[in-house]
Amino acid sequence: MRPSRGLHAGLAGLGLLVLLCVFGPVVLPAPPAADPARAALLPPGAAVTEVILTDGRGLVSPDVTVGNEAIVVRGPFRDTELSPAEVVSVRKGRFLLGSDRMGRDVASQLMAGGRFSLAIAGLAAIIALLVGSSVGIAAATGGPVTDSALMRLVDVLMAFPLLFLLILVATLFRPGPVALALILGMTSWMGLARLVRGQVLALRGRTFILAAQAAGASKTFVARRHLLPNLAGPLSQDTALRLGDLVLAEAALSYLGIGVSPGMPTWGGMVAQGHRVMVEGWWLATFPGLAIAALVISLALIGDGIQERLTRGARS
Amino acid sequence: MKKLLGFSIFLTITAACGSPEPASTTPASGEPPESGGTVVVGIVSDVQSWNPYLVEDLESEHVLSLLYPSLAVEQTDYHRHPPSFAPSLATSWTWSEDHLALTLELDPDAHWSDGAPITSRDVVFTWQVQTSPEVGWLYGYVKDFIEKVEAVDDHTVRATFTHVYPYQLMDLNDGPVIPAHAWSKIPFEAWGGADWKEQVLSGGPFSLSDHTPQQEITLTRNPWYFRSPLPRLGRLVFRISPSASGLLTQLLAGEIDFLQSVSPDQIGRVASRDDLEMVIYDNRSYTHICWKTDTGHLADPAVRTALTTAIDRQQIIDVVFNGFGRIAVGPVLSPFWAFNRNLLPLPYDPEAARAMLDEAGWTDTDGDGFVDRDGEALSIEILAPAENELRQDIALLVEADLEQVGVKVEPRFVEWGTLMAIMDSGEADAVVNMWEEPTQIDLEGLWHSPAPGEPTFNFGRYANPEVDELLAEVAELTDFADQKPLLDRIQALIVADQPYTFLVENTRITVHSSRIDGAEINAATPFFNIDEWTVDDAAGR
Amino acid sequence: MTRLVVRRLLLLIPMVWLVATLAFVVVAAAPGSYADTIDHPGLSAEQRAELEARYGLDQPVHRQYLRWLGSLAGGDLGISFVTKEPVIRLLARTVPPTILLGGAALLLDFVLGILLAVAAARRPHGWFDRVSSFLGLGLAGLPSFWVAGLAILVFALILGWFPASHMRSVAASGLSGPAGLADLLHHLVLPACCLGLVGAAGTARYLRSTLMDVRGERYILAARTRGLSERRILWIHTLRPALLPVITLLGLSLPFLVSGSVVIETVFSWPGVGLTLLSAAHARDIPVVMAVTILGAVAVLLGSLLADVLSAAIDPRTREDSP
Repeated sequence: MRPSRGLHAGLAGLGLLVLLCVFGPVVLPAPPAADPARAALLPPGAAVTEVILTDGRGLVSPDVTVGNEAIVVRGPFRDTELSPAEVVSVRKGRFLLGSDRMGRDVASQLMAGGRFSLAIAGLAAIIALLVGSSVGIAAATGGPVTDSALMRLVDVLMAFPLLFLLILVATLFRPGPVALALILGMTSWMGLARLVRGQVLALRGRTFILAAQAAGASKTFVARRHLLPNLAGPLSQDTALRLGDLVLAEAALSYLGIGVSPGMPTWGGMVAQGHRVMVEGWWLATFPGLAIAALVISLALIGDGIQERLTRGARS
Repeated sequence: MKKLLGFSIFLTITAACGSPEPASTTPASGEPPESGGTVVVGIVSDVQSWNPYLVEDLESEHVLSLLYPSLAVEQTDYHRHPPSFAPSLATSWTWSEDHLALTLELDPDAHWSDGAPITSRDVVFTWQVQTSPEVGWLYGYVKDFIEKVEAVDDHTVRATFTHVYPYQLMDLNDGPVIPAHAWSKIPFEAWGGADWKEQVLSGGPFSLSDHTPQQEITLTRNPWYFRSPLPRLGRLVFRISPSASGLLTQLLAGEIDFLQSVSPDQIGRVASRDDLEMVIYDNRSYTHICWKTDTGHLADPAVRTALTTAIDRQQIIDVVFNGFGRIAVGPVLSPFWAFNRNLLPLPYDPEAARAMLDEAGWTDTDGDGFVDRDGEALSIEILAPAENELRQDIALLVEADLEQVGVKVEPRFVEWGTLMAIMDSGEADAVVNMWEEPTQIDLEGLWHSPAPGEPTFNFGRYANPEVDELLAEVAELTDFADQKPLLDRIQALIVADQPYTFLVENTRITVHSSRIDGAEINAATPFFNIDEWTVDDAAGR
Repeated sequence: MTRLVVRRLLLLIPMVWLVATLAFVVVAAAPGSYADTIDHPGLSAEQRAELEARYGLDQPVHRQYLRWLGSLAGGDLGISFVTKEPVIRLLARTVPPTILLGGAALLLDFVLGILLAVAAARRPHGWFDRVSSFLGLGLAGLPSFWVAGLAILVFALILGWFPASHMRSVAASGLSGPAGLADLLHHLVLPACCLGLVGAAGTARYLRSTLMDVRGERYILAARTRGLSERRILWIHTLRPALLPVITLLGLSLPFLVSGSVVIETVFSWPGVGLTLLSAAHARDIPVVMAVTILGAVAVLLGSLLADVLSAAIDPRTREDSP
């Protein structure tokens, strides 16, 4: 796979996933209602009939007989016979990616879970970006004492295996989604701090910066005009890869039972829950697992693509 | 022929050298115990301690019950009367005239696995441990009505009670007998920090031969066991795996033979296997929703009755428990002798529920689909433990059912420790919870109005003066048959008040390899008749 | 060389102290305590206080810190709240299985990684390169627990080739010598593959790109003009300089390997440090969680030290003690 093509494929993949998660529910046909008694654990593509009753309830079953006298909705435990007067409408529907134990549409769940996963990882990445670049700039510009103090802190934090640190913090604090993003962000900014510090130090000696400073440009001007553009490439590459790591870390925490509350389905949480019924419903763990993989792969392609552009740019 | 004979004598001698077999343990039938075979049992957590008075979970208790003997064994005849007891370490017992003193004769042939006899000294020591504040046994309160336990002679013990009640023997028997000669050397203050693995002695059917923490416990047949015949099994291995579904996988892969509890939603893959057997039985517990009854919208019994009526409990059994279980009625489980057989579960009837809410003043005045009163919507937060997926599913089903009758429900799943704290505070609107019901009928703990400031299991703060009065009356009665009409009244009152929505009387599914024969499993312990288990070792191990 | 090692070792001491202190700060800042996790609502205030006193949780924080640091320096990691055994004994038991699993995974990671990278670099953008880089990306992207779950389903349940959990089979407690070893290896295959394959994908990807870079260097072109065989160029002239960053990668991949072991050990009930960490975390067994976290950090520090020393040994440029 050629790098530029890789970058495009990655961007396309990421864009598609984000668009699906955010706009999917609006664009795609509405899924059948959740009917735990009759439509639980149906495989992907299962065709069902949805019967809407006068009181607003929807009965969903793959096995519905519509007659003139009666409409029979069959289920594994009980059959329900309805008179046409009770029924408002009957429509066909399909569970594209199957249904879960509560008869909910997995595709819709996947989109909702994606929004949570993306939001948590995104927020964490922003936190890491802010903390990491502040620390990096502070270390590079704040004098030798600040520098070595901050860099020792970075060394110490980097010594912890990420998951160990996350488990320690997550067990002690039992975080909600925002707190989890905060914890993820606060435990993954160290690489960025090093990167930013290195870039700033390298740039400081470069002639164009010295020239700008000699010309009396203010610090903020130099930072905005020269530092940011030079940092943008490495930072975006690092962030792309970091986002992937964050998605995987959140998934692992959910799997280990110390992620966010199960009331809030993230992709990792969905895989963990699906694992329990891997034999009864393979699709429950498979699709969120593939979604995570697709997201991480897209991000890796983007990261590689940016890297390639940077080195090519440096060579030319 | 001669050669063969010599060979078998050689075998006998090696066997005798390998393990000291006391003469008293020759089996009654005369045939030598079969050499055994191994059963591998899957458990989710390691034993917390090898001292039964320092453990706090059932799984540990089950394992330790194989090492430390009880005076008597509770039988499963609780359908007609309080359970009776079969002799065990105590071979017989007699009551005094006034029924306040109980004299027990211990088996004179009983020994610990170091060869020391089990005597009345052990029983007295056990009682001292059970009631010692330094040891702090969690269930120490069951000994509250025992005034003293004393040794009459080496093999005779007398217990004296503060008053007469139907569960005197049950309370005395609670907690296994431990070795005084070995453990009395350690002062009670030091018990919490002691390494009990070094101190293990067995007086039960098996003794500890190996323990790799968090991995494996190996028990082997205890040649000193006082009951005959000796267990047929040679070895009982416990494999520890933290996840229940991981254990199920191992059962299916043939790595373990016995799993005490398999979740009903995973039963499909077991049912299709002919080398596995399912044992389905009542596990003496009920799942319920505990409502906040003292203040707020749910303080009105009519509202709670409406909510119960609106919840399709059969659907919960079908969907969540895969059809296993039965609709619960009230605070006493239906198989128990004390159950009021005139009571029936409230019917599922959303129409009627709407009418009841209407009558209680809750109607949808603003047309938003949810009922309200004085401008306030009837909205309930239902809590369920984050660790228990089945109870979360119940909360979701209840949400859907109650929304049908215009009640807004917000399910919230919180981690167990937090949930306990919220329940303790009495501030939760509603909690999906489960109680295991002891065979000793005790309605006081859950249903007596709570004393302010005291810790209580009455999380919904239910208070009914009539129930309080009846409970006091029951406590005065010494005979269970006299108690029964009062217990019936109490149940009727509680069902009418619906402080809980009684959802499901649970079923447990134990799965074991069909190699195992003769296992009788009950809700009290998976190892009820472990002495009689046999394995067909053609299948290897 | 010796000076480098000694200096790095001396630097390790303040690092370990900082690591330990940070772990303590995190734990001390947390709400709640051990007594909260014992799920008996009937627990009275006195019983709770008794529990806290028993574990020294009632003392002021700085006292706890000094007491804890003092015992840590003396090699005493405290006593597990749950199993009541010394933490050091618990670690002595759980570290070897983790090293075994991690070592096997690392071996797989590097051997497979190097082979894949070389095969791919032989014909850049050829079919093998494309397929393997795509598969590598896929493997790196899939959550390891998902892969492990699938592996158990296929290889343990459906095919029955490998055991689904634990380090030894029940019958193996009596086995010794070759039979015992075979049993152990049999149990090692699935977890080591699940842990190592993801790493191998990363190593291959990384090594391939450095190989490509090295290929463009002048001396390779020179070698080619001298008429050396492609194979010789690839294995000797290209691979050796490209291996240097791989050894750095070894130091860097250690934290991921250690982290990954938590998940894999949990899925396979492998009796190592990761499984211990997780069960201690669920039980809020603070001494164990702290000890394992610190141990993980120390392992990572040692790993990067080892990588530095190794690369110094291979690359003459870094051998001289430059600051």
